[in-house]
Amino acid sequence: MLEIKNLHAEVDGREILKGIDLRIGTGEVHAIMGPNGSGKSTLSNVLAGREGYEVTAGTIMYKGRNLLDLSPEERVWEGVFLAFQYPVEIPGVNNAYLLRAGVNAKRRHLGLPELDAMDFMQLVREKAQLVELDPSFLSRGVNEGFSGGEKKRNEIFQMAVLEPSLAILDETDSGLDIDALKIVAKGVNKLRSPERSMIMVTHYQRLLDYVRPDVVHVLADGRILKSGGPELAQELDRRGYDWVREEAAA
Amino acid sequence: MSTLIQEVRQRGERLFERHGIPHTRLEHWKYTDIRRAIEPWLAEKADVSPGSGYEALPTDDVAFQGIDGLDAYRIRVLDGRVIEIPEALPEGVIVQPLARLLADDEARAARILNADEQASLFNGLVALNTARAQDGVVITVEAGIELARPILIQHMGHAQAAHICHALELGAQAHAMVIEHYETPEQTAGFTNVVSRVQLGSGSSLVHVRLQQESSARMHIGRLDVCQQRDSLLKSHVITLGAQTSRLDLVVNLNEAGASCELNGLYLTAGRQHADHHTVIEHRAPYCRSREEYRGILDGRSRAVFNGRVVVHEGAVGTDSEQRNANLLLSDRAEIDTKPELEIYNDDVRCAHGATVGQLDEAQLFYMKARGLDDSQARELLTFAFADEVLVRLDVSAVRRHIERLSFDKLPYAGDFDAMSLGLEESA
Repeated sequence: MLEIKNLHAEVDGREILKGIDLRIGTGEVHAIMGPNGSGKSTLSNVLAGREGYEVTAGTIMYKGRNLLDLSPEERVWEGVFLAFQYPVEIPGVNNAYLLRAGVNAKRRHLGLPELDAMDFMQLVREKAQLVELDPSFLSRGVNEGFSGGEKKRNEIFQMAVLEPSLAILDETDSGLDIDALKIVAKGVNKLRSPERSMIMVTHYQRLLDYVRPDVVHVLADGRILKSGGPELAQELDRRGYDWVREEAAA
Repeated sequence: MSTLIQEVRQRGERLFERHGIPHTRLEHWKYTDIRRAIEPWLAEKADVSPGSGYEALPTDDVAFQGIDGLDAYRIRVLDGRVIEIPEALPEGVIVQPLARLLADDEARAARILNADEQASLFNGLVALNTARAQDGVVITVEAGIELARPILIQHMGHAQAAHICHALELGAQAHAMVIEHYETPEQTAGFTNVVSRVQLGSGSSLVHVRLQQESSARMHIGRLDVCQQRDSLLKSHVITLGAQTSRLDLVVNLNEAGASCELNGLYLTAGRQHADHHTVIEHRAPYCRSREEYRGILDGRSRAVFNGRVVVHEGAVGTDSEQRNANLLLSDRAEIDTKPELEIYNDDVRCAHGATVGQLDEAQLFYMKARGLDDSQARELLTFAFADEVLVRLDVSAVRRHIERLSFDKLPYAGDFDAMSLGLEESA
């Protein structure tokens, strides 16, 4: 699904990613953990194609294509989805419209007929249940006046509607209380499928208690220092990150 | 012509001679230079003799567009002459052409026409309007009358000068909605000089919409004067899309306790358009409230001016006033000059104001692209949303949709309003 080789990336002329190698198979769920400032969010933004994140070396192949050749919206159409760490509020643009425009742009790209209003509303009502969102939020401005938990649930809801092949969840657990975390995790678990790969970027292990990853990577100082199974996450939670650094330096 | 009207006309001429065409050395005309463009339209000596108000004017070469789906009492004004008024009106609602009042009730006509010294000082063209206005619509809504349907005044014009003088009086506890709609055929030059004088009786409420979409070759100068009595309410919507050069002076006098006004404005300019909005809110009595939000979207080499003045007079205790002006520049050659002016002469007030100028937000654009919208679609939607935040306050949906469509179509993107608004409707 995704193969990253020797990825280097800069923000404002400062190198943040210093040679990332990562391979994610179809249907796999990978967790990327690391301390603050390790480059986790930079990796998410590079994958989504955000301006200002400049790739200086390396390659990202997605489904056999060079991901870096695609614009942010083309990546979405091809099945890449980023759930934002900090979803922005867009007053005046309503949730339903934004999403329908996105879904239909993707369908056009794939040569599928666009969804009409009725089909679309049926689809979103059904998906809203996944994360226990009251459908009335659809007529509100995008994330406008949403609580932190509602914003994150909205991200997962949008993911459910756009049905990506590769979902990147950037710190989806941050700012959530335990109840909201459970709802979000439940939604994510329902969206797991043999055709869908996921990258969960997180600082803490607690999301991984609810969404069990296949592989855990430790990202620090712009490199992946260690990879392992789900037990690695628990070890990190217990011991912190320093031992991984020391081990890598040795 | 009677001596009374003659005197008023002559006084208008004298005031105009004294103050002349506004020029850029005047503080409130600093950024708007109309002198050269207005010259050809002043030479014309207008016929100010009172007519019936229903003269047969050529209408076959102009088409009044109207507002889809709006059920309104319709008045039509062509080249400054009232050519159609509603046949049946509810009891207590009177609509008369000013031209008829000039003949039938000159004392009242003189009162309506008469420009005050202050207004003429601010804008000499108000005095010219007094001297030359041929006609206009005089609307009276008697005390206690609630008008269920809006009154729509449609303006259309050929390439000539039109001096129009409207008056609107609402009695105590009366409620009405009035839409002033200005359009002229595309490419046609010309000059509109319109003054509307509004009196709101105690406890009355008025929704006033002023939609200006004249030809981008025309000059449009407008003044809207509102005097409010105790506990009256004004909700004003000013939408400026058209004209090469436009200027609107909106003056609200909160004369008695408990009066309140809400002023909403939207200007969209492109090409080499120039749109100037000067608003003045005079808090002259205790416990009055004013809310004002004007938004602008500027493209091309267009220029806009916003000047929002709020005066809180001595004794106007408990004043509550908020003013905002936000601007979006779509082009780096567009220019906005925005200035709030607060004058406060007592301590017991709550006044807030703010002005912003900016471009589209990159984080919002990226978020939308990350949901599959292309760059142009994302920009269009964000830009429209910026405008729509002031339009959503317009309660009559047919009018709001009409203006939303016009605004959307004026934006420099290729999207389809119906496709977009479908999304708005179905989820509402």
